[in-house]
Formats: sequence, C-alpha cells, structure tokens
Amino acid sequence: MKSYNGAYLVADYPDRERFISAALKSLEFFDFLEIGIPFSDPVSDGTVIAKAAYDVIESGVKFNDIMKSIDEIKSKIPADRKLYVMTYANHIYHRGIQNFGKIMNDHGISGMIIPDIPFIESRRFTDIFEQQGLEFIYFITPESKPEQIKQIAQSAKGFIYSVSMRGITGSSMNLKADIKTAVADAKTQTKVPVVLGFGIRDVESCKNALETADGFIIGTRMIELLNEDADNSSFNKFVEELKAKF
Amino acid sequence: MENYPDIKGYFGEYGGRFVAETLINVLAELEDTYAAFRKDEAMKAELDYLYKFYAGRPTPVYYAKNMSQKYDIEIYLKREDLLHTGAHKLNNCLGQILLTKYMGKKRIIAETGAGQHGVATATVAALMDMDCTVYMGSVDVERQAPNVNRMKLLGTKVVPVEAGSRTLKDAVNAAMQDWVANCVDTHYLIGSVVGPHPFPLIVRDFQRIIGDEARSQMKDDYGIMPDFGIACVGGGSNAAGFFTGFADSDVKLIGIEAGGRSDKPGDHCMTLSNGRPGIFQGMLSYLLDTEEAQVAEVHSVSAGLDYPSVGPEHSNWKDSGRVEYNFCTDKQALDACLELSRSEGIIPALESSHAIGYLINNREKFKKKKVLINLSGRGDKDLGIIFKEAVI
Repeated sequence: MKSYNGAYLVADYPDRERFISAALKSLEFFDFLEIGIPFSDPVSDGTVIAKAAYDVIESGVKFNDIMKSIDEIKSKIPADRKLYVMTYANHIYHRGIQNFGKIMNDHGISGMIIPDIPFIESRRFTDIFEQQGLEFIYFITPESKPEQIKQIAQSAKGFIYSVSMRGITGSSMNLKADIKTAVADAKTQTKVPVVLGFGIRDVESCKNALETADGFIIGTRMIELLNEDADNSSFNKFVEELKAKF
Repeated sequence: MENYPDIKGYFGEYGGRFVAETLINVLAELEDTYAAFRKDEAMKAELDYLYKFYAGRPTPVYYAKNMSQKYDIEIYLKREDLLHTGAHKLNNCLGQILLTKYMGKKRIIAETGAGQHGVATATVAALMDMDCTVYMGSVDVERQAPNVNRMKLLGTKVVPVEAGSRTLKDAVNAAMQDWVANCVDTHYLIGSVVGPHPFPLIVRDFQRIIGDEARSQMKDDYGIMPDFGIACVGGGSNAAGFFTGFADSDVKLIGIEAGGRSDKPGDHCMTLSNGRPGIFQGMLSYLLDTEEAQVAEVHSVSAGLDYPSVGPEHSNWKDSGRVEYNFCTDKQALDACLELSRSEGIIPALESSHAIGYLINNREKFKKKKVLINLSGRGDKDLGIIFKEAVI
C-alpha cells in the first residue's frame, strides 16, 4: 500500500514567499500539508517550532494574511493534495466555531489539527465541523487505552495522528512497544490512514515509521531546513531525497 | 456551588481539559487518586498535623483597630501572611505533596512567577525528600533573585524559561511540556486554581481551609458574620479558598484584580472585568487576548497577579453573580501597602495590598460595615519594588 505522508510548516515562515515556495515544493512529495497558524502559547511545540511561530507573530503577520497565502498555495496544487490547519483551540473559540469552520471551507482547508483539544473535549467542535464537511483530526498516544483507541478509530476522519512518544515536537523519536501496539490496534479498526508524527527527521526515521504506521509527518526538521539557508535549497534537497527514496 | 465542578470538570460553562491527548489519562488517574485521597482518614490526619505543627495553622483573624477607627469600617484581616513561607501558597503545596506521595510519584515540578509558589513547593519537596524542578521565566529569575536563592538553598533546581514573554505564563507552558514528557513518574504541583481539571478543584479544596477557618473564627472570636469578604485575584487560589468557606452564606464576596497602570491593553490584569472567555493553558475561562486571538501581554506591580487568565470557578462566579469582581490600581495598592504598614505594623504582600487598596478607595460603600479581608501574604519579598515605586 502506498504510504500517506504529511509535512508541517509554520504559516508565512520565514516569510510569505519562502513559505509558499516550501509549501508547493513539499506537496510534490507529501500527500498533505499541515499549516501552523501561530499561537502565542504553543504548549505542544518544542523550541524550533515555537520560535518560528513567535517570529511570525512578532513580524506582524495576521490571520487574514495567512489565509491569503493559503489561497495562493491552494490555487497551485493538484486537487488530491490536502491542506490542514494546525493551531490551538483559542484561535477557533475566539472566532466562533461555526465561523472558523466557514473560513476554513472558504479557503479550501480539509480539516484541523488542534493539539489542545483532546477527544473528550472535541464534541462541541466536531458537531459543527462535521456538518460543514471538515475533518477534525484525532490523536492517539502511548498513553491511549484500547477503549479510547477504539472510539477514536471509529470516529476518525481524514487520518489519525499518532504521537510517537511522550513529549513535544522536536524530541527525538524512540518507538517503544506501547505506541507500536496502539498504532496496530488503531489500524485494524479504522478506515483512515494511521500516521506517525513527532521525532521524524530523516530517511531512516521515515522508514522506521513506515514499519509501524501508514505514513509519517515531518515538522521540526522542515523548519530547521528553512533555517539553514536563505533560498530553501536545503529544504528542496531534502524533499527531492524523499521523492527518490519513497 | 458545592456541586462544582461537574463530572466533565466544568464549573458551569468553564473549565474542562484542553490539553494534549497524552495527558488525558494522567489527568484521569489524578482525578481518581484524588477522590480516594480525599476520603482517606490517615491522609487527612497527616495533612491536619502538618497544617498545625509545620505551617502554623490556624492563622488568626485580626481586628485592625486603627484602620477601622480611621475609616469607620470594622476591618478584619485573615492573617495568611503569618503562615510558614509567608503566604497562603503552602496550604496547597502541603496537600499536593501528600497527594504525590499517595500516588507513589517521586518527582515534582512547578511553575512560579514571583517565586512564592516556587519557594513553597521547594519547601515541601525538602520536607518529603522529593526531587523538585521549578520553572521560572528568566525575567522573573532576574527580578526575584532572593526567592531563586531560597529555592536553591532548599535543594530545588530552578530552570529559567526563555520562551515568549519570559514570565509566569511561559513558566506554566514549560512545566506542562515537562509533564507531557515525564508524566509517568512526575506530578505537576500547580500553584493556583488554574489549568485542566482536576487542578482547579484540587487547589481550591486545599485552600478552602482559609475560608472555613475564617468563618468559624469570626463566629467564635468575634460572635459575628462579616457583611463583606474581599480577596485579591490573580489566578485566584487564595480567593477561591476564602470564598468557598462563605459560599453558602449571605456574605457579599468581592474579588479584586490588578488594575495596573491603566485600563489600556497591556497595562493591567483585569481578566474578569475586561476579558472574555477563551481557551488557554488547559482551561476554558475568562482570558485577556488580542483581536488576533493571541494571549495578551499583561502588567501588574505585583508579580503574583501578573497572569492573563483566571481560574474557571471565578469565571463561573462572575457569570452567576455570586462574586463581584472589581479592581485596584498599582498606585492604590502601593499606597495601601504603606498605610497598613504604618497603621497596624503589618507589611502586606503587594498582591494582598490590592484588596486593602480597593477597600480604602471605596470606603463610603463600606461605612459601618463588617469587612473581612484575606491578607494572603506578607510583603518582605516586595521591599525592592515598594522602595522603587512608592513615595516613602
């Protein structure tokens, strides 16, 4: 089976042009792109992503500016490539759940990944988003219990985001038995791909992830590559490498 | 009021568990263990023992005669400033360290702003021989050096946090990140009635001894019930504990937020007066955020009130009208600190000075009334700021 993989980028980082260019390049390989809308208090993010998000906020980029960048990306990608927004709950709550969903639909976003809305708090959001045809992505973790995995697997739309270990983005990957079991368990009970994220940063860890899951998500490493030079060349080289290997 | 929070961890509309999926089962375990802990007579006896012989409870209610005469108001002070380590924070720390032991965990982490909760946590960690790490914004590390040294002396590791505004909220973020990674053997000893359920419940329960004690002291020592109860509100733990003791009475309760320099955004911490509901650090509660949904920068002369959100139970009390929320500015608080020091020989913490300052500046409203104020902490830690800011 073909793998189902995603990249994560912080919206308009390091600037609008380089972000759009990186987004388009990454979608030559990746099936979906998570676009991070910066929040002042990114509790689930490690220093690399948190710093990038902070820089974007400090540079004065507004929510509406990000939507314009998304429009440009959307207009230039094939229809089978999906865009997700990754952000924190206050962005949604503040704008109103219904209204936020409408904005996402207006800009061609497939769904949302919100690390501070766990399954048990998701109903008030999903009740509305599902009516709007949006996918609300659920997480499974090394802590998830079989009955929780079952519930999540059966409710899942889009894909299931499995967190490779206890920790925040940018930690090193260490696939222990507990998450391998959780992923295997979820795969037998769901119709959507189960994708591994957190700690995946090179061809080697991608391969490791694919031994267990249906796909991988690379985040922190993508931001680090953008930090390496001023013209996305390291970033582009990495995407080419992935294209050749997978 | 006694029925809250509900089974999902909500106080009316507010509260919940807005955290990473990884923490959900840890919070469930904490909730279950806490329910058992609460019923455990041996634990209750140990906590009572520590409150009495280690912390110095009960703290007295003092009738502030000189100020009362001056303003023609009967002013009573619940003296939490006399508690070991100098503030109400220790009530919660003693409770939670026993809970940590009860859960079989060996390591604790905490956040601190001014350093009071950090010192109280370091104190109980030393007492119970536990490994302790305290996260503190690097700005706070610099301006609260004496408390950093206290924590170090007590054997705690203090980690300066360089993210964001490098103050209290960033220290909470860092502590939560540590907890996500180490939740199996680590307890997060949170310092206020904030964060995901069950923390607002646990901290309020450990602080309600303030209100329960004060209520019986008013009756036993003075033969009265107060007309008003006033407490300062940052995250809101001293106020939550104090108010809970009077929740089912007719006593009018007033929570005082930090009015700061002005009511312009960024100049104050008037979360309940000027904020609106939002989701931040694990809870749905009133929040000061910008038009762009970013958490706002806030200011108070008092580091303990310098927080952009507030405990969810306070949000519910505001909406239900059970508690009235008002504010006191930096200047009024500094003046009140000076006045209480000179008239009663009690140097209050700048946090607690907000409650006093509100009373003085609204004295007409309280004329001939009986007012009980929670004096949540002592002001030694604030001397540097007091001498810098106040005209003495």
